[in-house]
Amino acid sequence: MALLTWARTRSPWLIHFNAGACNACDIEVLAALTPRYDLERFGALLKGTPRHADVMVVSGSVPRKVRDRLKRIYEQMPEPKFVVAVGSCAITGGVFQDCYNVLEGVDKVIPVNAYIPGCPPKPEAILDGVVKLLKSVGY
Amino acid sequence: MSVLEENIKVVEGLTMFLGKKNVLESRVPRARRAFVSVPREKLIDAVKYLRDEEGIKHVSTISGVDTGEGLEVVYHLRKPDLSISVKVRAPYDDPVVPSITGVLEGAILYEREIYDMVGVKAEGHPDLKRLILDYDWPDGVHPLRKEWDIQSLRKRVDGTEWGRK
Amino acid sequence: MSEREFIVPVGPQHPALKEPANFMFKVDGEVVVDVEPRVGYNHRGIEKAMEARTYLQNLYIVERVCGICSNAHQTCYTQCVEEVLGMEIPERAKYLRVFMQELERIHSHLLWLGVAAHEIGFDTLFYYIWRDREVVMDLLESVSGNRVNYAMPTIGGVRRDLEEANFPNYHKMLDTLKERTEYYIGVCSSEKTILERAIGVGYLSKEDAIRLSAVGPNARCSGVSCDTRHDLPYLVYDEIPWNVIVETNGDVLGQVLVRVKETLESVKICKYVLDNLPQGPIKEKYSPLGKVPEGEAVSIVEAQRGELIHYLQSRGDNKPYRYKIRAPTLGNIPSLVERLKGGYIADIPIVLAGIDPCFSCTDRMAFVDEGKDRRWEMTEEELRRYGIRWYEK
Repeated sequence: MALLTWARTRSPWLIHFNAGACNACDIEVLAALTPRYDLERFGALLKGTPRHADVMVVSGSVPRKVRDRLKRIYEQMPEPKFVVAVGSCAITGGVFQDCYNVLEGVDKVIPVNAYIPGCPPKPEAILDGVVKLLKSVGY
Repeated sequence: MSVLEENIKVVEGLTMFLGKKNVLESRVPRARRAFVSVPREKLIDAVKYLRDEEGIKHVSTISGVDTGEGLEVVYHLRKPDLSISVKVRAPYDDPVVPSITGVLEGAILYEREIYDMVGVKAEGHPDLKRLILDYDWPDGVHPLRKEWDIQSLRKRVDGTEWGRK
Repeated sequence: MSEREFIVPVGPQHPALKEPANFMFKVDGEVVVDVEPRVGYNHRGIEKAMEARTYLQNLYIVERVCGICSNAHQTCYTQCVEEVLGMEIPERAKYLRVFMQELERIHSHLLWLGVAAHEIGFDTLFYYIWRDREVVMDLLESVSGNRVNYAMPTIGGVRRDLEEANFPNYHKMLDTLKERTEYYIGVCSSEKTILERAIGVGYLSKEDAIRLSAVGPNARCSGVSCDTRHDLPYLVYDEIPWNVIVETNGDVLGQVLVRVKETLESVKICKYVLDNLPQGPIKEKYSPLGKVPEGEAVSIVEAQRGELIHYLQSRGDNKPYRYKIRAPTLGNIPSLVERLKGGYIADIPIVLAGIDPCFSCTDRMAFVDEGKDRRWEMTEEELRRYGIRWYEK
């Protein structure tokens, strides 16, 4: 079991989902994967499909139309799975609180393990959040 | 001739073409901006005139407004150095305007947007259906109408009410 | 046209950022016959929310309509409100707004170039470009305090000033950007991997671009000379020497060339601003709860993706009565549909990325064979690899 945990936390494969975000958080997540910040040195790889992913990185304030897709993608991830909510919109709705089409927060749809606040959070903050998540799991 | 004078000439040409009684309001507040108001029956003629005589072929967007007394649709058209906004009005109980997609094809998505948001039907549109709102959004609830505010919209659509704690 | 028609829904999710959207492709074998775009996954109800907030509060909502064009939206918004207020902003503020806008254009085009390289499978180029893009991000952070969402324009001027002591450093950074961009122009015009996936792909003729009201680099790559900075000059674009970039290819290569050359023009404009910045105040007085007189205004700005238009109707209090925003990508969808028709499935990712959309392609693609009643699914990763394998043959 410890070996499995060791293997899993040393190579978290990420999937990124934009649940109605303005793209600012998304480009900072992508910037975290590029040479200057380099999330890949933690073994993190950005995959294109939920079926290969361990960690889902969600940004955005979840408009109604996206809600079902978000749930479906979460259900398609194999266990054990973790969700990281990036950006103020994914945590509480951000500036879009009190808008008619927005669910305030990703945790109203799926369970979230880590929250990274910011509008958008800097890539260093995203790295910090992912590392904290890995540590809490047993890195 | 300066740009401002040219813009004034465009508006004057349109007024002469449609007849003074058919141009309810017209103003050129500064160079490169013009606003005209026409009755909805004359909309197609006005847009056709602007396209054929003035070379105005680009649709920037179409805005739907709930004025409180009725619905107003503003067509923002463009040629390189002039942005002209053509306004028409429609009453609440007959929210229909003629579609300009036969004249300017670029309006195709914008007319769907005003149908969704304000509830104005563009008659003659090839494929008038929702553009933006959710598939199971209730019919007849148009968010940008003044009868709805955000709390009442959420209650109507979601069954929930939200309050800033 | 065979009897079997496949419908390929391309739903909302993309490994390389951007907003979600959904496209239903009708295909016949390998060729795309028709496209139905479905948008609205990112509809947050901003226009309604703006009616309930004061003008100063709306400044920060408008910024977050799109994180990549945030400065363009703010510039357009402040211009709109200032026109109704009848306010004229100081010269220095105008130059600073131009500076921020052009820096944002550089960052956006480099971002796009990297994503386009990723779409055709050229990941090395993607990482190179995003590494070089960090130079402009540093510049943005130094000027405004944040990498994204800079909040520089405010009603009456700009929020922060530039410090003269930093100018030599800024010039050095801009020169680095110029040198790297010229290198990328060379790569894109000569690298076989790129040319094969870009020449002749997603073609749009000049007549179609005009007929479908295409905007921005999407239209300029098809030979339509339309740039709001030139046609409806705002701020100080009529005082600064610069050129409108128009290409006649009409295909993805044209998109690449227009954007990369525009990046060079933006570097030129930024350097001109640094050398010719007038002295003076950066802001006019505007009270945060100030009322805006009755009136209306149309504000048009050249955002990175094309013509951005805002329309304001004010009834004399401190909240807008009606605020309309039309972002350039909505204007580019009809021409996108035209570009996709007649092309191969393998070309879908690059053509979609080519118009620089502010919504994303999918990860979830279901293929439905109506005739045989079969369904199977393909991930975006697989579709991209499919496209790469297709061209390797």
